[in-house]
Amino acid sequence: MKTGLTRLLPYVLILLVTLALVWIDKPFWIQLAIGVAITAITALAWDILSRTGQVSLGSAAFFGIGSYTLAIFEPLIGLTLAWVAVVVVCALAATLLGLLTLRLRRMYFAIATLGFALSMQVLVVVFPDWTGGSGGIAPPVLADGDPRWQLGLIGLLLLAAVALSDTLLGLRFRPAFFMIRTKPELAAASGVPVVHMKIFAFIVSGVLIGLAGACYGGLYGYVVPTDVFTTNWSVLPLAIATLGGMDTTIGPLLGAIVLKALEEVARSVIGGTGYQVVYGAVIILFVIGMPQGIVGLLRKAGKLAGRRTATGEKKKERERHA
Amino acid sequence: MRDTASLSPARRSAQQSGGAILAVEDLTVAFGGLKALDGVSLSIAAGEITGLIGPNGSGKSTLVNTVSGQLPVRGGRISLRGGDVTGRRPDRIVRAGMARTYQIPRVPPTLTVEEVLSVPLLYAGRDRHRLPGLGDAAAIAAFCGLGPLFRRYCGDLSVTDLRRLEIARALACAPDLLLLDEAMAGLSHEDSVEVMGLIRNVHEQGISIVIIEHLMRVITTLCHRVVVLNNGRLLAEGTPATVLADQAVREAYLGKGFAS
Amino acid sequence: MESTLLVQSLLLALTTAGLYAAIASGLTLEFGVTGIINFAHGEFVMLGAFLTYFLYEAVGVPPLAGMVLSGLAMTALSWLVFDGFLSRVLKQDEHNQILATIGLSILLINLAMIAWTPDARVMHAPPLLPPLQLGDVIVPGNNLVVLLVGIALYAGMIWFMRHTRQGLLLRLAADDPQLAVLAGVDVTRMFRLSFLIGGLTAGVSGGLVALILYVQPLVGVDLVMRAFAIVALGGLGSIGGALIGAVLLSAAENLTATFVPGGGSWGYGVAFVIIVLVLVVRPTGLFGSERRA
Repeated sequence: MKTGLTRLLPYVLILLVTLALVWIDKPFWIQLAIGVAITAITALAWDILSRTGQVSLGSAAFFGIGSYTLAIFEPLIGLTLAWVAVVVVCALAATLLGLLTLRLRRMYFAIATLGFALSMQVLVVVFPDWTGGSGGIAPPVLADGDPRWQLGLIGLLLLAAVALSDTLLGLRFRPAFFMIRTKPELAAASGVPVVHMKIFAFIVSGVLIGLAGACYGGLYGYVVPTDVFTTNWSVLPLAIATLGGMDTTIGPLLGAIVLKALEEVARSVIGGTGYQVVYGAVIILFVIGMPQGIVGLLRKAGKLAGRRTATGEKKKERERHA
Repeated sequence: MRDTASLSPARRSAQQSGGAILAVEDLTVAFGGLKALDGVSLSIAAGEITGLIGPNGSGKSTLVNTVSGQLPVRGGRISLRGGDVTGRRPDRIVRAGMARTYQIPRVPPTLTVEEVLSVPLLYAGRDRHRLPGLGDAAAIAAFCGLGPLFRRYCGDLSVTDLRRLEIARALACAPDLLLLDEAMAGLSHEDSVEVMGLIRNVHEQGISIVIIEHLMRVITTLCHRVVVLNNGRLLAEGTPATVLADQAVREAYLGKGFAS
Repeated sequence: MESTLLVQSLLLALTTAGLYAAIASGLTLEFGVTGIINFAHGEFVMLGAFLTYFLYEAVGVPPLAGMVLSGLAMTALSWLVFDGFLSRVLKQDEHNQILATIGLSILLINLAMIAWTPDARVMHAPPLLPPLQLGDVIVPGNNLVVLLVGIALYAGMIWFMRHTRQGLLLRLAADDPQLAVLAGVDVTRMFRLSFLIGGLTAGVSGGLVALILYVQPLVGVDLVMRAFAIVALGGLGSIGGALIGAVLLSAAENLTATFVPGGGSWGYGVAFVIIVLVLVVRPTGLFGSERRA
């Protein structure tokens, strides 16, 4: 139940920040923003999937498949078609994994998706003729290596992810998704084709993560399996979405900004080895202290600050909806 | 006993045109080696309220879960308005015109009443013109006594209101046949009287109804016909008066307390 | 020649199976009782390995005694972690439960990296047993120790679960938490107990790791991934299944490494293929029951 203004906020925020950074052209901030944007896309994608009750630990599979598909197909069919291939291959992989894990619940689902992601990494090593093995592979460089254009493109992808997330939070999808998550039988008894919807969410999520992975691979034009298939890319989206606030669009954005900022601080204080200790500490503090994430905290604060005005606005907003 | 004579002529003709709305032939459902339903054949007449009774474990819930597509069929045939729906997916069966309620619905607490009702309205894909009073979510909510709670979160609703919401959700599927799974279990006397009134109103809309119920009072006041299951088989069927007078039914189901 | 290789491979597999079974049975016990997968289980093994290593290299404590001390230390750490932290996520949604132990895992790995660098170390202890010679096949002494200690740990757990009052209560809490509450069982205490036992077995297993593998902050990740596969094979929550799963997995791994060209580089890939396949065929594991699904 958001007002029109807060609904627009993420779009305005992303546009302004991207344009400002492109204009002032400071390499450090551009790199940081690219990092935030890529993780935010994966977190939004993870969140979309989780709304159907599929708590995945397999994001890394799609991240890696995205960058590898771009790298493998670009010499064969050209750059444009290679991007199409990224979408197609990720959609196929998502359909496959979605069908394989359809009957799994809770922890079983988490373990199976984790297993899938790590199997992909092994697959790359086992077939070195296709994939370059553990030595890595060279995807085409994004935007001829100009960081400002890279940020611009990734910013656009982020905007698309935000728009998708918002659409899927609309009346057409949100209630059906939540019903599938809470009790799939009830959703089916309401006419929802549960399997199709779950696979659909998997495809949207997988393709978004795959595109983010392809962008990531194109940043420097070189990736090794442990860059993109690392469990980090499975854990980060989950951590960011949860810390920011699940089932929202703004949550994963806020989470990505906060976590990446903390990471930078930790990197400068602790150095390259072990700086991720900050992830562990932040995750634990959040899980104990505010399990509803930043958005939950803001909502609570908002409620305390102006209960009356808020409910008044809510009523108006809902009347407008009706 | 209620009869269809009190209905408006248009509704009556709509109800009487169908004959059997749901027909089950030789239906067998098994979990492992255990047969939960063993060759059950019965038919539900269009336009009636039918009671489905039987002791615990007699196969009532299995029957409802099977005809609504949630359980696999081992043998037999299910047809809805003459069309075969055996083994179809639950959402397809909803589209074909049969909706069901759950005894314990478990709706997402962060959804409002409006949002829950929007799901069948969007996905059940049924022609709504047949039910003029139930065209949109607000009308359905008002019909079920949920008007004032339309924009409340489901997490804040009382048990009775959740029951109403569950009936409303099933109504939003615009069904020809509605299966009610113990819609009154655990409600107070006053609340169950209200829900019974609601069920009557639903029936007045021209919707055929099957009620699973333990309370004999509900069965005798609402139902035109009663079907009795025992040990996964059909034990008896007929009007409430004849069925409840049946010696086999009294022994199998009602026990000493009721029989006396 | 081929058959000698096969026997050698299977015997080595059997000894690693002892280690895998000890690690996986702790993990599966914790899951069976609390419904939470402890992604940080491997980090308790890692800390146990470091402790055994330092106790031997710096203080000269013999490895077997070091293992016992590591087990006790990890029991204490588990207590701290459970009461300070995990007990609070027991009633939260699954994503928070998953995240909680993942967070703990990341924290411990990175603290270890900061304290001890990411480099691998090898404990230079003399073999605790002489090698076993069976015809052409030789089994190193330390592998025998791993097999024996692993089996002892595993058997100890089974005995505890079957023949003690606390074990009975644990099984009750795992089978039917609601019934356990009705029966007056303090479920939170049982949850804690499962983590204490998990910590104990992880700590001792860590000592075994120091004995036959290497000591390094990421060693727990490798092992816990395999434990997931074992648990998937044996059924999440089934201690009996853990042993079968461990034997199957380590046989599969060793055979792949021995007979598939380049199979050595598959690493724990074998484990993941097993995870995915098993869960697809039987969502609750090959020997698991349906109840927690």
